Amino acid sequence: MEQFLFYAFAAMAILSALLLVSIRNTARALFLLFIVLFAMAGLYLFALADFVAITQILVYVGGVLILLIFAFMLSNKELLADLQSTSQRFMSLPNWQSMSLSLAFLAVLVYSFIAWTKEAPEWMARAQADGSILSPTDDNIQTLGLKFMTQYILPFEIISVFLMMALIGAAHLSRREGSR
Amino acid sequence: MITLTHFLLVSACIFCIGLYAVLAKRNAIMILVGIELMINASILNFVAFSRYDKTNYGGQIFALFAIVLAAAAVAVGLAIILNVYRQFKTINPQNIHELKD
Amino acid sequence: MNGLLNISPVYASILVVMLPFFGFLMQAVLGKKSNSGNIGLATIILSVCVSFFAVFLPVWNGAPLTERMHWFTVGGKPFYVGVMLNNLTVLMQLIVGIIALPVHIYSRAYMRNDPGIHRYWMFLSFFCFAMLGLTISTSLLQLYVFWELVGFASYLLIGFWFTKESAVQANKKAFIINRIGDIGFLIGIALVYTHCGTVDLGELFGPQGVFLPAVNADGSWLTLAGLAFFLGAMAKSAQFPLHVWLPDAMEGPTSVSSLIHAATMVAAGVFLLCTIFPLFNETVLLTIAIIGCITALSAAIFALGQYDIKKILAFSTISQLGFMMVGVGIGSWDTAMFHLATHAFFKCLLFLAAGAVIHEMAHFKATHQLDIDPQDLRNMGGLRRYLPTTFVCMTIASLALAGFPLTTGYLSKDSIVVQAFEWGFHLGGIYLLIPTTLAAVSLLTAFYIGRLLFKTFFGKFKFAEKLQKGELHDAPIAMTGPMIFLAACCLFPTCSFHPFDYHQSWLLGGFHVKTAFAAVAEMHSAVPLVLTLGALAAWGVGWRWYVAKRYPLSKNNRWVRFATRQGYFNEFYQLLFVKGTEQLSRGVYAFDHYVVDGLTRTFSAATRRLSVAAHWFDRHMVDGLVNLIAGTTYYVGHLVRHVQNGQLQSYLGFALTVVVLGILYLIIK
Repeated sequence: MEQFLFYAFAAMAILSALLLVSIRNTARALFLLFIVLFAMAGLYLFALADFVAITQILVYVGGVLILLIFAFMLSNKELLADLQSTSQRFMSLPNWQSMSLSLAFLAVLVYSFIAWTKEAPEWMARAQADGSILSPTDDNIQTLGLKFMTQYILPFEIISVFLMMALIGAAHLSRREGSR
Repeated sequence: MITLTHFLLVSACIFCIGLYAVLAKRNAIMILVGIELMINASILNFVAFSRYDKTNYGGQIFALFAIVLAAAAVAVGLAIILNVYRQFKTINPQNIHELKD
Repeated sequence: MNGLLNISPVYASILVVMLPFFGFLMQAVLGKKSNSGNIGLATIILSVCVSFFAVFLPVWNGAPLTERMHWFTVGGKPFYVGVMLNNLTVLMQLIVGIIALPVHIYSRAYMRNDPGIHRYWMFLSFFCFAMLGLTISTSLLQLYVFWELVGFASYLLIGFWFTKESAVQANKKAFIINRIGDIGFLIGIALVYTHCGTVDLGELFGPQGVFLPAVNADGSWLTLAGLAFFLGAMAKSAQFPLHVWLPDAMEGPTSVSSLIHAATMVAAGVFLLCTIFPLFNETVLLTIAIIGCITALSAAIFALGQYDIKKILAFSTISQLGFMMVGVGIGSWDTAMFHLATHAFFKCLLFLAAGAVIHEMAHFKATHQLDIDPQDLRNMGGLRRYLPTTFVCMTIASLALAGFPLTTGYLSKDSIVVQAFEWGFHLGGIYLLIPTTLAAVSLLTAFYIGRLLFKTFFGKFKFAEKLQKGELHDAPIAMTGPMIFLAACCLFPTCSFHPFDYHQSWLLGGFHVKTAFAAVAEMHSAVPLVLTLGALAAWGVGWRWYVAKRYPLSKNNRWVRFATRQGYFNEFYQLLFVKGTEQLSRGVYAFDHYVVDGLTRTFSAATRRLSVAAHWFDRHMVDGLVNLIAGTTYYVGHLVRHVQNGQLQSYLGFALTVVVLGILYLIIK
């Protein structure tokens, strides 16, 4: 059952992603991204990262994706016309150069993963041997909160400031010149 | 039990699809989407490895950081696309070739 | 008078030289304004007076005087310029002055109305300066300088009528032939300087007139030097075979011929030989004697065939110069100087008289517009009735030339012939040929001068029917005066109070020459007698042939033609030197044209071909290589340029490709 669900989510994520890059209509592509991100969140659950999955849905689906759709929808009508003029078909022929490059990269990655898993790093083997691996029963959220406030306080603060800077910068960039 | 290899393979696939989108799409928003896919693939790797790091929780912590960074990247990226559109009246990166010699 | 004589003879002699030079400068500055000749005349009169009273009288038979000053130094050896006064030089200076004076006076009338008269006076003064300077030079180098100046003045005066083609040719000829002699002179000076280290006459010969003792054993260079000096004298004194310039030099004005080409300049060669006489050894002396003898004979023969009155006199001059050369050659240079002095007077007179005749003939020709040569003997005849003074003067001069008694010519010529006979008897054998020839030549001399005299003044005037009364007359007093003066000088009292014995001559007494041969008493009476009788006979034959019209020879007689054409010497020289030079230059031209130019042209053509090839190679190979490299670089850059298309996706793609390839490389490795 667990295996099946994983494969289902994985297949949904991969197929949706493939359709996403193949489709010509940007609006549909963005909705396909919606599906992909949900599927990815499901996959996080299989990796026992429930808080990350929730955050994924909250931030990505609720924030980033809405931002993208709004940006797309708020942008000029000529943008759509311009894009549609390039192709009349529902699915465009993939760019063979990018395709072959991506496939080559995939092959390299897959090969290296397979080659890597045969001799796993020492710290993973030790953790497996100790049995100190995450179990579905662990309280992840509490632990993460503690870790953020203790061990990772400095990165946490830096990322907060960084996020604020990015948002201010984004707001500044997207301001209209004439509205000043 | 889902093995690490499964996650890695799925993330590799998603990463390469994102890569393809970045390389091949003729729309700046779609390129941004491709980048999001790639970031998601890497987050998947983070959380997958995080199972073996119970003491530090580094994987999940940095997965969260990555999500925050992705959100910031999207915000800034969209702002930039908006400005590019204002500047060039297009968001097709093939038509933006100021770097051409 | 004694007050005047107080000045030193040395300075007086310098004054003598510088006065004509001053005249020359004055006339040169004044240019065309000075055509009267008064300046030249005044300077020469002053010059002669000073020369006679302040130089000649104090020095003659007195101690030789030498004054010199440092001129320049070559290699530590000083050269001097100065004045050397002894019997020889003061005599020569006086002769030059005394001959120049009447010629100046004569020229005033003779050259009147000539368009170039100012140049004439200028040149004449210049000549006098050079000739007077030549006589008293103290060193051979100084002598050489004046020698050249004299030659140059002669050149200018021969070509005085430079619009006449023949005059230009003649002065060129004279100049070129004199150049040959000058080279000889220069070589002689160089030889003397090399071996003796000095060219100062005083140092060379000393007061005793003997050659420097340093040169004793090996006399071969001495022979060479002597011959070289003699070559110089040969050209200047028109000795065979360099005599050809003198007859042509008669293209100049007659007054010039009388002064330069009869009396003074041509005698400079003889004077030179007398000055450096101690230098000569036996070989050179014999050569001089032989050449002189040949000259005397050949010129006398050529004089027989001439019709031009001046050319006869020119050949006569050459012949007499030959006599003087023989005098030098036999060792008794005193007789040569003696003959030089007497000859100067009577030959000058002959020329002046001939000039007077030519003057009248030219007037006659101009009046009647005849197409005749005023100098041609065949157009004259019977002139003694119209020009009595000229006739008398000419007769006296002719008698002197022919060597009749009571004239100076008799004394001087006999002195040479007698000495020559004594020399011949002393050496004996073949050497007697020279005095015998001389005797024969003096008979020939008598004959040709008789011929001239008879054809000019006796018989009937050729154009008598056209002649109007009083048309032909004696020259004005300005011309006859000098002639009479010279005629008086041709008579024996000038040089000896004893009319028949040359030993009594004061002139010979001034030179103390010791001859190697013994005096033969018989000769002193026999030779003059034979010569006088011979001359009389010659005149008799001349009278019979030319006056009595019993001419025995046809005009086309080979010997007559030979003599008329001057022994074909000019033709021979023309053939040998002029044509030879022409042929040589033509050959050289051909060589130059075909061989040298051909080589050059071949080289240039080859070079041009080579450069074309090099150009091609450069254009296609070197440039091609460079262009190929550049083109390749450009093409590669052009290809690679597409990478830099400004598209982020492409850049990313390339970057990724490299990453993939790198990882692949790591995997495969």
